[in-house]
Amino acid sequence: MMMKGGNKVLARSLMTQTLEAVKRKQFKKFHAASSEEQATIERNPYTIFHQALKNCEPVIGLAPILKGGRFYQVPVPLSDRRRRFLAMKWMITECREKKHRRTLMPEKLSQELLQAFHNQGPVVKRKHDMHKMAEANRALAHYRWW
Amino acid sequence: MATPSLRGRLARLGNPRKPVLKPSKPLILANRIGERRRNRGEATCITEMSVMMACWKQNEFRDEACRKEIQDFFDCASKAEAARKMRSVQGEYGNLPPQKVNMLLQRFPNKSHLS
Repeated sequence: MMMKGGNKVLARSLMTQTLEAVKRKQFKKFHAASSEEQATIERNPYTIFHQALKNCEPVIGLAPILKGGRFYQVPVPLSDRRRRFLAMKWMITECREKKHRRTLMPEKLSQELLQAFHNQGPVVKRKHDMHKMAEANRALAHYRWW
Repeated sequence: MATPSLRGRLARLGNPRKPVLKPSKPLILANRIGERRRNRGEATCITEMSVMMACWKQNEFRDEACRKEIQDFFDCASKAEAARKMRSVQGEYGNLPPQKVNMLLQRFPNKSHLS
């Protein structure tokens, strides 16, 4: 999803720059913090990446079901890979659309990943919006047939 | 159970009475059969979903507070998915499913022509 036009080299370099930016930010925070906070600050960029994406995965999704000529948004369970895909897609679209023209992708992505790691930020908010809509439409769950 | 007889039903030169049947196509067995009607199932995992949503309502949609309910919901969803796959792979007992019958008929068709 990061790759455009088959440019795997560029995508890979963007990802490594993102992980490096995450690591730099965490180290700066580490050195600025007191000793009891230093135990809680996570510095490994890979664990931050995986935990952030896990925090962005929605639990339940919405599917448009045609009934009586109208489309209703019905809450439906999602498979594992669909959840992971949605988390990654939301993260990337968020970083592409809502950034200043001059900021580069690694900078913005590292910012979003750190925010998601702490369960804050726009991607986690989008996940909560999805959950809220599913909760509002829970009466329509019987429209499902699988 | 025999099929109803066809004697004297069509309009032919040797048939004195009025035709009972007027088929639009010749009465020859086709090389495919129609699909079975799909039974509509009902929605699965509704109780787990409602329990999870009640937990969300209480705890402001935080995921860490509702881990157990979310895990139950996931387990129910994966079990339902596995059961659905088993049912579709196994098929119904007794007759063959219509896709297999069509495959066999394609390989050994009913020849309506002579050569």
